[in-house]
Amino acid sequence: MKKHSSLLPGLLLVALILAMCLISFFWLPMDPNKMDTANRFALPTFSHWLGTDQFGRDVLSRVMIASRSALLVGLGSVSVGTAAGLLLGSLAAMAGPRLQALIMRIIDGFMAFPGILLAMMLVAVLGKGLINSVIAIGIFMIPSFSRLVYSMILENKTRLYVKAARSYGCRSGQIVISHIFPDMLPRLITQFSSAVGGAILTESSLSFLGLGIQPPSASWGLMLSEARQFVLSYPFLAVAPGAVLLVAALGFNLVGDGLNDRLVKRGSR
Amino acid sequence: MFRLISKRLFSALAVMFVVSLITFMVLKWIPGDPAQLILGTEATPESLEALRTSMGLNLPWTAQYARWLGNLLQGDWGTSYLFGENVRTLILQRLPVTFSLTLFSMILAVCFSAGLGIVSALFQGSWIDRLSRSLMQLGAAIPAFWLGMIFMILFAAQLHWFPVTGYTPPAEGISAYLHSLALPSIILAIGESGVLIRLFRSSMLSALNQDFMQSAQIKGLPRTTAILKYALRSAMIAPITVIGSQTAKLFGGTVIIETIFALPGIGRLLLTSVEQRDIQLLQGIVLFITLMVVLFNFITDMLVIAANPLIRMESGGNEV
Amino acid sequence: MKKLICFGLSLLILVMSACSAQPTPSSDPAGPSAAPVKNELIMAMSVDPDGLDPQRTTAASTFQITNNLYEPLLKVTTDGTLKAGLAESWTVSEDGMTLTFTLRGNAQFSNGNPCDSAAVIASFERLKAEGSPRAADYANLMTMEAPDAKTVVFTTETLDVAILSTFAYPWAAIVDVTVADTLKNQPVGTGAYTLKEWVPQQSLTLVKNENYPETVNLETIQFKMMPDAASQISAFQNGELDIISVSGDQVAAFENNPAYTVVQAPANSLQLMAMNLSHEALSDLRVRQAINYAVDKDALIDTVWWGYGEKIGSHYPTVLKEYVDHSEDYSYDPEMAKSLLKEAGYENGLTLNLVLPKNYTAYVNAGQVIADQLEAVGIHCEISIVEWASWLSDVYNGRQYDLTVVGHTGRLDPYVLLARYQSASSENYFNYNNPEVDQLLSDYKAEGREAQRTEIVKRVEEILAEEVPALYIQDPISIYVLQKGIEGFATYPIDIYEMKDVRFTQ
Repeated sequence: MKKHSSLLPGLLLVALILAMCLISFFWLPMDPNKMDTANRFALPTFSHWLGTDQFGRDVLSRVMIASRSALLVGLGSVSVGTAAGLLLGSLAAMAGPRLQALIMRIIDGFMAFPGILLAMMLVAVLGKGLINSVIAIGIFMIPSFSRLVYSMILENKTRLYVKAARSYGCRSGQIVISHIFPDMLPRLITQFSSAVGGAILTESSLSFLGLGIQPPSASWGLMLSEARQFVLSYPFLAVAPGAVLLVAALGFNLVGDGLNDRLVKRGSR
Repeated sequence: MFRLISKRLFSALAVMFVVSLITFMVLKWIPGDPAQLILGTEATPESLEALRTSMGLNLPWTAQYARWLGNLLQGDWGTSYLFGENVRTLILQRLPVTFSLTLFSMILAVCFSAGLGIVSALFQGSWIDRLSRSLMQLGAAIPAFWLGMIFMILFAAQLHWFPVTGYTPPAEGISAYLHSLALPSIILAIGESGVLIRLFRSSMLSALNQDFMQSAQIKGLPRTTAILKYALRSAMIAPITVIGSQTAKLFGGTVIIETIFALPGIGRLLLTSVEQRDIQLLQGIVLFITLMVVLFNFITDMLVIAANPLIRMESGGNEV
Repeated sequence: MKKLICFGLSLLILVMSACSAQPTPSSDPAGPSAAPVKNELIMAMSVDPDGLDPQRTTAASTFQITNNLYEPLLKVTTDGTLKAGLAESWTVSEDGMTLTFTLRGNAQFSNGNPCDSAAVIASFERLKAEGSPRAADYANLMTMEAPDAKTVVFTTETLDVAILSTFAYPWAAIVDVTVADTLKNQPVGTGAYTLKEWVPQQSLTLVKNENYPETVNLETIQFKMMPDAASQISAFQNGELDIISVSGDQVAAFENNPAYTVVQAPANSLQLMAMNLSHEALSDLRVRQAINYAVDKDALIDTVWWGYGEKIGSHYPTVLKEYVDHSEDYSYDPEMAKSLLKEAGYENGLTLNLVLPKNYTAYVNAGQVIADQLEAVGIHCEISIVEWASWLSDVYNGRQYDLTVVGHTGRLDPYVLLARYQSASSENYFNYNNPEVDQLLSDYKAEGREAQRTEIVKRVEEILAEEVPALYIQDPISIYVLQKGIEGFATYPIDIYEMKDVRFTQ
C-alpha cells in the first residue's frame, strides 16, 4: 500500500534545513546583523540573493542563521519533553493508584490548556529568549509524551512477557528499562519527529507574537513579524522566512509519518 | 451509568481545580507590578503601597487564591484593571467572535475534510488521494500567521473581496458579518483539515473493509448503494470524538489569527492581558477557556458513552 | 507550493505598484450634489485607551479621547497659548500665588449634575489624592475655595510661575466625582461629546453633547481600534476610515493624491537614548561624548522614521520658543568617538545593556540601529526588549539599565519639561547630578521676568547639550492623512485631539 512513502521526501527536506544550518557555521553570504541602511528593502540582486530587510541586512544570511535557533528550539524542547515525559509517564504507570491519579490529574490539567496558551503563560513567567523558549515549549510537550509513555506501559504491563519477567522477580524500574522501553522506542521516535515540526511552528508563533526570540537575533517567526510592518509596501520580505518555516515543519512531519508507516504499523502487524 | 457520569464529572472538576491552581501560581511568578502599571511613571512609593493593599497584593498567595476562588464561586470573576470592566462582561463581549470563528472554521474544515477524505479513501492511490495527502501535510505544516499575511494581501488588500481586518457583529448585517470572518475562518480550517482528512480517510477505509460491506456484496447490492447506505454512515461516527476535542483545542488557539486580523476575540484579550499583566483578566480567561475545553470533552465523552453500549458495561470494571 | 507563492507574491508587487494611485470610492452612492454633508467621522487608533478616567492614567491614548469628553479649566490653541476652557475667564494675583477662575454659566455634566465651583474643587481634590499618578504636580495647590457657585480660587504654597499651564493639561479635566468609581468605562464630563459605546479592541463611539455651548460640527465620532498599520492604510484606501495616522514610509503613497490631505507637524515631544550615569563607564563624560559622536543621527532618523523628524542635540523640542539648535554639537565622527573611548580607557571595547520597550516599534528599531553604529566604534550593546510594565518598574523607577531608548511627550511649560534633570527628582532616571542645573531650575520657578526665564532655559539646554546625559535624537513629526473634504483637524503641542472643530465640507 505504501508506494508513496513520505519518509524520503521528508528526509530530503530535513536534510535541506540541516545543511543550511551546518553551512551557516562555516559560511554566510554576509554578516547577518550588519546593517546597510542606505541599501534597505532591496529586491533580490546578485549580491543579496533574497534582498535586504528594513535595516538593509541580508535576508538570506538571516534566514540561514535563524535555522540554528529553529533547530535548537525544535530538537531541544522535544528532548526536554521526551525525557520528562518518560519519567513522569513511567512513574505514573508504575506507581500506586493514589500517586497515579495525582500525576494523571496534573497532566490532564496541563493538557486542558489548549494550543499556545500554556506556552504563552510560561514565557510570561520565565521571560523571553532562546533558552526560555526551549524550556517553555519543552514543558508544553511534556503532557503528550507522558500520556504516550503511560498508555504504552499500561498496554505492555498486561502482556505475557512482562508478566513472565515479573514472575522471575524483576523490579518495576528494571522491567520498564529492559523490557518495555525497547518496545516503545519506535513509537517514541515517531512521536519525537512529528513533535519537532510542531515545536518549530510553536517557536515561530511565539516569536511572531513577540514572546520568543528577541531582536536583533534572527528567527523565522520574528522575521515574519518584522516583515508584517511593511507587508503592503514590501511583500517580498515575507516570502523567504515563511517558505523556509514551511519546509522545516513539513520535513519533520513527513519524516514522522514515514517512520510511523515503517516502524509502528509494520511492527504491530 | 450514573456512576460513570458522576465519575467523569468529578474528574472534570478536579482538572478545573488543578488548572486554576496552576494558573494562579504561574501568574504569581510573573515579573512586573500591577500597581506600578496602574499608576505609571509618576507614582510615589506611598500611593503604590496603598494601591497594593487595596488590591490584596500584599496577602500571601494562598489567601489571594482563596479570596479569588471564593469570589468566583459567587459569580464574581473580578475586575480588569486595564479596562475597568468586569472580567465576565469582557469575556462574554468577546465570546461571539471566538465562538463564531471556531464554529465556522470547524464547519468548513469538517465539510472539506470529510469530502476529500472519503473520496480519497474510495479512490485509494489515485491522483485525488495523492492530492489530499499533500494537502493534509501542507495544512499541518503551514504557519497560520504566514498564510494569514498572504491571504490578507491577496484577497483583502488587492482584490478587495474581504475587509482587511476587523469584525462586524451580525446585528450590523449578516453578510458583512460573514465577510469579516471569512478569511480567518478559512485559514483556521486549513490548519484543522490536516488532522481531519487523515481521520476521515482512515475511518472510511476501515468501514470499507468491514464485514457488512462484504455481506452487502454477497447479497448482490450495488457497490454505490452499499457505500451510501452503510459505509458512509459508519465512517462518520468514529471522527466525532476527535472533532469534539479539536473544536475545544481550536477554541483556545485562535490568538494568532485574531491578532493578525484584529478580531476582538478572546485570544487577543488574552494576549493583551499577558502583555499588560492584567492578572485578574488573565486568570478569568484561562479559566474560561479551560472550562470550555473540559466541557467540550465531557460532552464528547458522554456522546461516545451513549453511542457505545460496550463502554457503558465496562464502566463498572477497571478504569484507567 | 513554494514556487506558486513566490509567483503569486511577485505578481502582487506588480499589481501593487500599478494601483497605488487608485482613487477612493465615494462612500455615498447618491452623488455629491444630492448628498447631505456627512455627519459621522471614523478615525483609526492603534491601541485602546487605558480607561476613560483622565485622572487615573498616564496613557496618551486616553487623553486623545477624553479631551473630547471632559474639559479642563483652560485649553490650549494649536501654538500652545492658553485660552478659555470650562473657565470663561481667569486672573492671577500680583504676587502670582492666587488664581481665580470664573466658570462658564450653567455648566452641566453629561449626566445632568451641575458643574459648579464645588464640583471643580472636588475634581481637583481627586486629582491630588492617592491613586492619582499626577498628584505630585498639583501638591503646590494649598487651598481651594468657592466664594460663589461660579468662582474658584486656588492659592499656591510657593511661587510657581508655570502654574497656569498645569490647568490646561487633559489630566486636569473636571470630572464628576459623584460617579468616580465608574469613570473608567462610564465617563461623565462637560466636554463636547459623550460616550455612546466602548467595545474594547473593537471600537469606541462618541456622540455630540447637545448641551455643549460651542459649535460641535459632527454628530458621531467613531474610533476604530486597529493595531496593525497595514490594515489601517488598506481600510483607509477602501474609504472605510476618514483619518489615519501614518508613518513616514507611507507618506509618498498619499502626498500627491488629490483624494487625500496630508497633515504633518512636529509633535512637540522628544525621543532620546537615555544613559544611566551611575554606570561607571557612562559617568565618564568622554564615553557619553563618544556615544554621541558614534551615532549618525541623520541615518538613524532616515531609517527608523523615514526622515520625518527634526534632529535635536538637547532636551528641548523644536517648536517651543526657547529652542536653540544644538543638533550639530557632536556631529557624526566615529574616529573621534574611538579616540575618546581610548582616552577614557575603553580601547579594548565596552559592553553595555540596552533596554527597549516592546510596545514602541520605532524605539525598538532605533535601538537596533544605534547598537549597530556603536558596535563600529567598539561599544557592544546587549539588547533586551521588555514589556512596558517591566520598563516602567525596572528602568524608569528602578533605574536598572545602562542605555534605553524612549520618548517624552510634550509639555506646555519649559520647567515641567526640564524638571527631571534636578538631581533629587524622582523622574531623574538618568541619575544626572549637576548643581548648576539644580540652581537654575529652582531660580526659574521664582523668576517673574520673561526674558530672564528664557535665558535660564537656554542655559540649561546648553549644559545638557554639552554634558549629554542622553543621546538626544529628534522631535518627531506626526503625520495624519485625511480624506478630502475634512477640515478643522489640527495638531496641538500636547497629545490631544479636538474633534468638535472637525467637519466635512462635501
